[in-house]
Amino acid sequence: MNVRKLVSIAILLTAAAALVFSGGAAEQVEVEVDPPGGREFDWRQYEGTTLVFNFPNHVHYNAMLEAGVLEDFEALTGINVEADRMQYMNMHDAQVLEMSKPVGDYDLISMVVMWKAEYALGGMIRPLESFFDDPSLTLPDYRFDDLVPAYVEVTGIAGGENIYKDGPGAQLYGVPFGSETSFMIYRTDVFEEHGLEVPETYDELTETARYIYEEVPDTYGLTMRAASGHHATHAWLLHASPYGATVFDENWEPAFTSPESIETIEFMKKMIDYGPPGMEGFTQDEEFAAFLQGDAAIYLDASVFAGPAKDPAQSRVHDRIGFALHPRQRTPLAETGGFGIAIPENSQNAEAAFLLMQYLTLPEVEREIVLAGGAPFRMSTVEDSSLYDEYPEFEVLADQLEHANPDWRPIIPEWGEINNMLGIAINQALTGAKTPEQAMEDVYEPIRNVMIRAGYID
Amino acid sequence: MRRVCVRKSSVPGRKNSAYLFLAPAASILLLVLMVPIFNTLRLSFFEWTMRALTEPPTFVGFRNFRELFGSANFQESIRVTITFSLSVVAIELLLGTVLALLLEGEFKGMRLFRTLFVLPIMIAPVVVGIMWRFMYHPSYGKINYFLGFIGLGPYGWLSNPDLALRSVIIADIWQWTPFVFLLVLAGLQGVPKDVMEAATVDGTNYFQTLLYIKLPFISAVLGITAVLRLIDSFRSLVVIYNMTGGGPGVSTEIMSIHLFKTAFTSQRLGLASAVAVILLLLIAVFASVFIRNSLKEERR
Repeated sequence: MNVRKLVSIAILLTAAAALVFSGGAAEQVEVEVDPPGGREFDWRQYEGTTLVFNFPNHVHYNAMLEAGVLEDFEALTGINVEADRMQYMNMHDAQVLEMSKPVGDYDLISMVVMWKAEYALGGMIRPLESFFDDPSLTLPDYRFDDLVPAYVEVTGIAGGENIYKDGPGAQLYGVPFGSETSFMIYRTDVFEEHGLEVPETYDELTETARYIYEEVPDTYGLTMRAASGHHATHAWLLHASPYGATVFDENWEPAFTSPESIETIEFMKKMIDYGPPGMEGFTQDEEFAAFLQGDAAIYLDASVFAGPAKDPAQSRVHDRIGFALHPRQRTPLAETGGFGIAIPENSQNAEAAFLLMQYLTLPEVEREIVLAGGAPFRMSTVEDSSLYDEYPEFEVLADQLEHANPDWRPIIPEWGEINNMLGIAINQALTGAKTPEQAMEDVYEPIRNVMIRAGYID
Repeated sequence: MRRVCVRKSSVPGRKNSAYLFLAPAASILLLVLMVPIFNTLRLSFFEWTMRALTEPPTFVGFRNFRELFGSANFQESIRVTITFSLSVVAIELLLGTVLALLLEGEFKGMRLFRTLFVLPIMIAPVVVGIMWRFMYHPSYGKINYFLGFIGLGPYGWLSNPDLALRSVIIADIWQWTPFVFLLVLAGLQGVPKDVMEAATVDGTNYFQTLLYIKLPFISAVLGITAVLRLIDSFRSLVVIYNMTGGGPGVSTEIMSIHLFKTAFTSQRLGLASAVAVILLLLIAVFASVFIRNSLKEERR
């Protein structure tokens, strides 16, 4: 056998091996994965339908788009999904107008939890029990109980005696999707360099914020939203809960003139003093920016901010942040809020919309969205310790959710009006236009009148 | 006289045909203008919430108006609206007229300069609002950045109740002074050349020409510009809403923002209609005063 023959045989063997191995690899790729729920569940029963999904430009929903799960749903079901994305503060008007028509264009909506009772009591969204009870529509392994209980109550339960809380007559109207609690994010470099302890109480938080403002060059204490209206009320609620202040007492009488409420505003005024310039006019975007740019060393608000804070494309401090529980004072209670998804009563494609709602909240789909930067809403994800290296915030979140308060704000249908009135008054106190006592006293009667008009009190 | 009357009546149907030709335009005007106004007026006497749009409104008489005039926030919004409108109209008229007088001559590059100068009017109000919000930003805004060089600030331009309304007024002046400038410039170009030449021959100086020829000639233009800007400023919403949302507190909450919040945040369409009616009356009163004054000026 000469050399030429040997070379030819070697080349032939190599080519054959290459064909065999590449064929094997191709076979591996072609292995079909069972759809969620297995092959028995008919995902294509509404093939050809077009759904309109109205949702916000928000961390979680942006992660949903980035994960490509809407396209996956379209491929799985043959249902076409039209995405209608909006700035979240503008969604309410569009949704109310759309859902007031005999036939609406929206098939699935994302709602901020504070609109839940208004929509449910106004007959604008559908109860979901009948969908979940229908085996042709609901996967047997959907694992509803795995959804974070506090999120389910705050985003979905309404309509009973307690209006926005669980109780007699209450029904399920939505499921969590983009829901949140609150926790703290802090700059590990600042804390380590100055030997600061992570604050566990509001007194410690006040002292830490003061220290950072006075001792750490070019760095401020806590970043906080405080702009007149909704943002100021949100910030007040966030801190009022640990201070033990509430908007109403158990008889629906305004309770925001209480010493606890005034103490909350005094704390917020101190945070304004120790915070970035102009913080009394900050909206949520500006609150985020102050932390992402490295101006403020502490963030204490919605947990969905963990995604942007860790993202190198958005955050200058992504590699030096730590997570901690929401500090306590009189109570350890933290926020529940964010978004849930619901089906409008006037949707013409409610069953197909339910398929989309269910698909988006399946455990495996939730995991895909979370990996793209979304907010977890299933206990199995939050408690999955294999994720803690990459998602250290989940470990804190698992503990924080024990104190997530579903009754964090009174989500009665009149809340929008009260939210605005209270937020103006709180902002007036924060800017120094009025004293905290005067601001709360001035808004007491107007808010009481709203409650009288709505029939809660005489 | 009698012959004229006979001649008029000798053209049968002429008067009627005029009405006939006017009818389509008049009916469209009636439909799109008067019906919504009457509907708003009617709704201002009702309670109607967006939470129950399918249910009929409830008649409440003058309760909405009583509630408004008893509300400290609404009273403040009237004060803010009047302060804002009168300030912007006065300053824009003054600045626009001065700029038009400075730039009425023809010299090299003037056309380009005029085009650049009117750019602010062409920018969408949302963009103007966001742009000024960024410029006023206490930490990242250009205004505080440059003031920092001379050791001033940082100021919370939009978060300090004492500065916010002034800051909003400045943004409006930036956007709308070019509008006044354009109209006044057009008015100045209509001043007859022979009159100007005669004045020059008579030896008048610049200020005499300005006082006795130019300003009287453009007084009608100034009047109509003032009315247009006044009406527009009373209805301002988008720029201020994007800059401050009406805050801090209610210190920049002009009536149109109060109306917007009443309708879409509080969802009380009857009460919002009452705000709209009061706003309309306020505009009508101020506009009629301006129009009467400018007509008097013209007659003189």
